[in-house]
Amino acid sequence: MAQRIVIDPITRIEGHLKIEVEVENGVVKDAWSAGTMARGWEVLLKDRDPRDAPYITSRVCGVCEGVHAIASAQALDHAFDVEIPEAGRLMRNLFCGGLYLHDHFIHFYVLSALDYLDIMAVAGYSGSDAGLLAIKDKIVALVQNNDTSPFTPRYEPDEFSVNDPEIVTTLVSHYIKSIEMKAKSQKMLNIICGVQPHPNTIIAGGCTATPSREELIEFRELWEEQVQFVNEIYLPDVTAVGTGPLLPLATAGLGATTGNYLCYPMFPQSAPMGTVEYSFGGGNPLVKGGTLMTGEVNPTLSVNYDGITEAVAHSWYEYPAGVDSLHPSEGITEYNVRKDGAYSFVKAPRYSGEPMEVGPLARGLVNQYPELMNLIGMGAKPGAVARHFCRAVESKLVGEAGLVWIDRLIELATTGPIVGMNDQPVPRSARGMGAWDAPRGALAHWVDIQDYRIKNYQLVVPSTWNASPRDEKQMRGPYEQSLLGCPVPDVDNPINVVRIIRSFDPCLACAIHLIDPETNDIKVYKIR
Amino acid sequence: MDIFELRKPQITRRDFIKAASAALVLLGLSQALTPKVVKALEKSAGKPAVIWLEGQDCAGCVESFLNSLEPDAVSILLDTISLRYNETAMAASGHQAEDALAKTVEEGGYILVIEGAIPLAEDGLFCTIGGKPFKDIVHECASNAAAIICVGSCATYGGIPRSGPTDAVGYLYRGTQKHHYFDDVGEKPVINLPTCPLHCERLVAVIIHYLTFSTVPELDEFQRPLAFYGENQHENCERRGHFDAGRFLTDWGDPEQQGWCLYLKGCKGPWANQDCWKRLWNNRTNYCIQANHPCVACSEPEFYESVSPMYERQFDVEFPGIGRVDIDKIMLTIGGAVAAGIGLDMAVSKITGDWKDNGETNANKEGKES
Repeated sequence: MAQRIVIDPITRIEGHLKIEVEVENGVVKDAWSAGTMARGWEVLLKDRDPRDAPYITSRVCGVCEGVHAIASAQALDHAFDVEIPEAGRLMRNLFCGGLYLHDHFIHFYVLSALDYLDIMAVAGYSGSDAGLLAIKDKIVALVQNNDTSPFTPRYEPDEFSVNDPEIVTTLVSHYIKSIEMKAKSQKMLNIICGVQPHPNTIIAGGCTATPSREELIEFRELWEEQVQFVNEIYLPDVTAVGTGPLLPLATAGLGATTGNYLCYPMFPQSAPMGTVEYSFGGGNPLVKGGTLMTGEVNPTLSVNYDGITEAVAHSWYEYPAGVDSLHPSEGITEYNVRKDGAYSFVKAPRYSGEPMEVGPLARGLVNQYPELMNLIGMGAKPGAVARHFCRAVESKLVGEAGLVWIDRLIELATTGPIVGMNDQPVPRSARGMGAWDAPRGALAHWVDIQDYRIKNYQLVVPSTWNASPRDEKQMRGPYEQSLLGCPVPDVDNPINVVRIIRSFDPCLACAIHLIDPETNDIKVYKIR
Repeated sequence: MDIFELRKPQITRRDFIKAASAALVLLGLSQALTPKVVKALEKSAGKPAVIWLEGQDCAGCVESFLNSLEPDAVSILLDTISLRYNETAMAASGHQAEDALAKTVEEGGYILVIEGAIPLAEDGLFCTIGGKPFKDIVHECASNAAAIICVGSCATYGGIPRSGPTDAVGYLYRGTQKHHYFDDVGEKPVINLPTCPLHCERLVAVIIHYLTFSTVPELDEFQRPLAFYGENQHENCERRGHFDAGRFLTDWGDPEQQGWCLYLKGCKGPWANQDCWKRLWNNRTNYCIQANHPCVACSEPEFYESVSPMYERQFDVEFPGIGRVDIDKIMLTIGGAVAAGIGLDMAVSKITGDWKDNGETNANKEGKES
């Protein structure tokens, strides 16, 4: 007899997500993911001055924040037909690089670790390290005061939970340290952003900031501190846990999707090669874009941006008769909440008709991160653990590349004020597309400008790909697919379900940004 | 690698004196009050319960709160308050999370922090949590709260979502207008801390002030603490000299113009009341104008609806002895001089014009038209 479990809200993610699974004989047989909040971002951008878009889209999400500003600014660069100056490209790279550094370790320690740690094991710490004893005192004090918020309530630890007091206490100390490191990273980024989170300076034409040489040297020192935390704490922690207590979950491939992966190029390291069009801010990307389709591990195929479509068969939207899917640049948003079989506000993006997993694992497989290949060599399969691992690996990659960008910027600052802008007026009519791989995966913005105003603005964001519902061919989205076969021995304690979902680092504020401007119609939906 | 070989950071527990002292600095109060604040903070067994709700939000304000370094966010979370419910940080999911919220609401007397706008259209169904409309959750939580702190532009006045079609409002305000939607909750101290995102220091200071004095700081007509929102950006701007001299930045790509007044790039500083210009952001590092970006007046109830288009100047300038002048004409007349950096040899006294914001959202405007 199958049992239904509804988890709403899924916490420790960005946004409002509801997950429903059907469990039979202790295993997930079917799954549905649905977002439960909408603000109408694309609707409110209509008829605005296009230059508002980077600021406004940055506010789609306060966690991945600035990547929206970058994708949006790139779409405008493309529409305005401008090539941004080298300093602008470097500052955008550094902004997004810094975001990668802290976003990934915050996801691991603050958003995910509580799924893998029996935090109360801290009470059993018997070592002599002063720092760890202070952590123990802090947790014990919470217990003695009979108030262990926000660490409880929680799902009960299971056989995969780490409960060695020394390891747990160490990781809790890193949980606390990671929050301080994130604050320092955002302090660093503020040198080129003005405000963090939510950068203001990344706009059409480049980046407005003009940091002095001294400020950039301070930036470098703060960056080195981040790199040290990533290389000496975060990556070793993920490696130790992933190849130790969690290796069984890794080799079981818990949380695998169908094996379709998509990522976009990012961190351009040279001027655009060839035309400005589709150059996404420059050439020679540090992380290259590409796709892997099931059964075709090699070669990695380059991204065909015309192959992206969105279907609405199981979403609360209606397309014209006979139309199953549309390219985002021609996207239609017509709402129908009474549609039979629909269960999500999220559209179903497809690439060549296939659902695609986006994010760190997609980047790792497309770019063949050597450390990932080693982990796979140890028997690990792509899945939840591999996602965490790829984040740590690419944090190191970006951290080290960033030092080169900073040094070049410092060099540029020695000969006068940095100018990172190519300031051009809004064209009367133009179209543009911008793409970047956000920490959570492939992100693209499309803009259509007419009479100097936004006629249509569309975003297809990472969590739309991953949280996608079924399409017209009944193919599940990546979250849904990843839950199939997930062990749930106790339906009151579905800890593996949240482990899998959080391994994607969901960002639902991003995923759901569409509602009907005509009717504002929305109703309670029930999943049958 | 063996996890036991990892370098262990020295994490020392910050004492309350440091936290108290930092809070007094943030609030601009005398250090003589330190013992009183310390005493209040030391009652750690009775840590106040905090419910932090997220509605039509982006989690940017909770992210910003975690950026507090003096005092640090972890000390506040573990030593100063008891965070019972926050979707971004809490361990629990699903029913456990809902139960934790219900239990705290039943106990009453907690501080309620609201992040994100509250959509009122369509019975509030644009945002549901655990199947319940967010507006109903706010209503329930507000009923038993001792005090309510609205953080960020969305929870205070509706922010950017107010421009969308969901009738997104703040707890008390729809733009500049009170909507009275939650009036039946009864009189509660409500403190509004706008800007996009929240400035962490303003929240930390208000919490500690509340714990110490059991009162709210002095507020302005929009429930903003005067200590943070009582002064004008334009009056205090470090680029004010360039404004007075008529040196306006018109091309971000021109090295000669760097550092000039951003008014013609749409700066809304003359309408912005905040202390960003002296408080700065991210532990006193930088802020919008210093980063060469116009102020967008995110501290104001009119944000974002009235500040769009962001990069266009909206009003004319008035010169002493000349009166109101169309700024485009000034640019025509003295265009060459401005480009050469010579500037105007006269002081600009003030900018005329004001926003016309009646607090309507696109949603209820459309409703009226149809």
